[in-house]
Amino acid sequence: MKRVNKTLITAMFLLTFLSGCWDIKDIDQRNLPLVIGIAKADNNEYKVTAQIPIPKLSGQTQSGPMSRIVTSKGESFSSALGQIKTNSEDAVDYSHVRLIVIQKNLTKNQKELRQLIKFLMDSKEIPMKAMLAITNDHIEKLLSNINDKLGVDSTSLYDFFNKGAGWAPEISSAPIWEVYRSLFSYTEDITIPVVDSGKDTVLNYKGAAVLKKGKITQRISPNENQLINLFQNKSAKGKIESVGFASVMVTKSTIENKTVMKNNKPLVYSDLNLKIDILERKADITNNQIRERLEKLTQKQFYHIFKQAQKSNTDIFGFGQYFRDQIPYDDLKNWRGKYYPKLKVNFQVHVSME
Amino acid sequence: MVNVVKEIQARFSRHDDFFFEEEQKDKMPFYLMGFNTLIDLAKSNLYVRQVAASSSSVNELFINLSDQLDVDTEKLIKAILEGKLVIVLGNGKRNAIVDPVSRNLRRNIDKPQSESPLQGPLDAFVEDIKTNIGLIRKRLDTERLCHSSHEVGKLASRKLSMLYIKGRAPDTLIKKINKQIKQIDTDIETVDDLNKYFGQRSSIVSHVFLTELPSEVTHLLKKNRVVLLLDNYPFALVFPNLLLDMFCIASDRNYPSLLAYALRTLRVVGAVINVLLPALYVAIVSVNPEILKIDLALFVSESRRGIPFPALLETMIMVVLVDLTLEAIVRLPKSVGPTITMVGGIILGQAMVQAKLVSPLLVIVVTAIVISGSVVSGIQNSLYIRLLRYPILILASIYGVLGVFIGFLFTIVYLASLTSNGIPYTAFRIRERGTQNES
Repeated sequence: MKRVNKTLITAMFLLTFLSGCWDIKDIDQRNLPLVIGIAKADNNEYKVTAQIPIPKLSGQTQSGPMSRIVTSKGESFSSALGQIKTNSEDAVDYSHVRLIVIQKNLTKNQKELRQLIKFLMDSKEIPMKAMLAITNDHIEKLLSNINDKLGVDSTSLYDFFNKGAGWAPEISSAPIWEVYRSLFSYTEDITIPVVDSGKDTVLNYKGAAVLKKGKITQRISPNENQLINLFQNKSAKGKIESVGFASVMVTKSTIENKTVMKNNKPLVYSDLNLKIDILERKADITNNQIRERLEKLTQKQFYHIFKQAQKSNTDIFGFGQYFRDQIPYDDLKNWRGKYYPKLKVNFQVHVSME
Repeated sequence: MVNVVKEIQARFSRHDDFFFEEEQKDKMPFYLMGFNTLIDLAKSNLYVRQVAASSSSVNELFINLSDQLDVDTEKLIKAILEGKLVIVLGNGKRNAIVDPVSRNLRRNIDKPQSESPLQGPLDAFVEDIKTNIGLIRKRLDTERLCHSSHEVGKLASRKLSMLYIKGRAPDTLIKKINKQIKQIDTDIETVDDLNKYFGQRSSIVSHVFLTELPSEVTHLLKKNRVVLLLDNYPFALVFPNLLLDMFCIASDRNYPSLLAYALRTLRVVGAVINVLLPALYVAIVSVNPEILKIDLALFVSESRRGIPFPALLETMIMVVLVDLTLEAIVRLPKSVGPTITMVGGIILGQAMVQAKLVSPLLVIVVTAIVISGSVVSGIQNSLYIRLLRYPILILASIYGVLGVFIGFLFTIVYLASLTSNGIPYTAFRIRERGTQNES
């Protein structure tokens, strides 16, 4: 009995100590890429660029670049990622990737883009909460832009989209899992932010691209994108609007939607409540004038985007979501083709002063 | 000379501190015997002479001196060993065991040495068992406080007292402990010797909770516990030892209850931090850095840059060094202690970081461990908590955060599996009460 016990204990010890801690690497032996850029090279290969922050040694003031840019090419996205791992001096740990920037030339091919998003979702290494963005610029230029700017952090590229840091109400955010979901959703499309490398700031926000089942159908300006964010219940707090003869700041925003289905014709009553603070105005302009002007402007802006979206059958506001319980499930896949073109939206803006 | 005296003298022929004096009363010789290391000879002699002077006959003298008269030789020898004065009449027909004036071999009641009660009573137990029981009796003036005294040991006998409140401590528990004490057939030198008789277990947790404070003991007696007192041991042994004793101290209740609960929560947090923090450090730094926020990950990565050891080794070195320092401070005389503290502080804190042997973050972690390790009550408890973190540390280095929590889970399972006389270690309190009336 005692002998058996001893063997058992030895076996347990061996199990503990031999069970593969050989591949554990301390955090300082790992490179933690923050941003990954993906582009299509001329010869139809994938070009993957990673921005890896360089840790500063304690006690030293920062001199030289804050991050390094590593590029590799491969026939597929995964082989290019593997190439970076092979060539790197330290282990590469993709688990901290927060932003994936896709160059515009890759977004032209719907099939490839769908494949890429599927790969990002399936990949166990890349976290699915990483944000997606599109750029018109050269990827390498965008990523190395951070090194020429003064007073920015190595995490600045990600901070731009981070709600706890540099996020602004106009910026849309598209985590990988939401983009993946929209690929299969019958009733909702998604907007992906478009960024360029800025001259004075690291990034320049250019609005958003509307993605419908992996195809880009429409471009939206930053101002318009804010409206879309409002419909997703993202507050517009702090946004400054100019109404020509005055400029106001939105301090609070809420939206209420009511849906009616009449003879297979969907109808949405949408009420946007804005609380504003007047920052400056021209002489002899009353509060009421500003209010009416702002209401009119916002409504006009909404109908403008909505009309365009309806034309291209993309439901960027996600109105289809409200009708999911009113349309039979089998019919739901026809939302974009059958119901959406007939959708009427009664959009009312109510502005109140502080 | 008579047989009795000769026999006793023969027995103590190898004891140089044995004295033998002859006195006379009415021309009848009688002999005083005892140990001069235990008996204050001059004072005792004076006392006997005074009594002799006031007695009319030898017979009366013996009756006046003692009520233990005319016992057999074995009992006389035992009495001498216990520090009593033995008087034998010249013809050997009468003898008596007298309570002499003893030498003062006791410490006065002092402040507690290993606990420091804030805003509570300041007296503590001493070596003398009678003083200790007196300290408890003084606080619990009820007839229901029962005291059964035993003498245990093979070579040297040692007094062992059991105290409980009738009607509070469960009858079955009292019966079991009584039986276990009666089974003792070896010398009881340490608490661990006694522990063996409460059920064999190779455990890091003792069956009894040690305390130096009479106020704590009276509180626990009221909470249905049994208290054991050993002669020449300035601690009360509370049976059984429960997990909550570590966090709840009787003197907490001198504060408003909200404050008391906050203090107890703090102690629990301290114990958990002490067990988990080094393991979490290793797990996060070497196995699962992905759970850190990116800014934190970069900071940790920066602080570890250039350190030649893997995280586990680094942490092991520091934790062992700190435990060594703690142990050294206890062992060292009070005049040298501060030096160790200073040197240890400088070496562990500054030099190690400046030499890039350990990361500054680890120094913060280790500081937190040292501080949090001392918040629980009882030195034994804080010692075993310190020991618990090593297995978890090793598990963490292999399985990461998963290992930390599996290790913590197993620690809890282990603690929950411990029982003393059928009472689980993790019980909040003893619900069962004994009967009040004798049956």
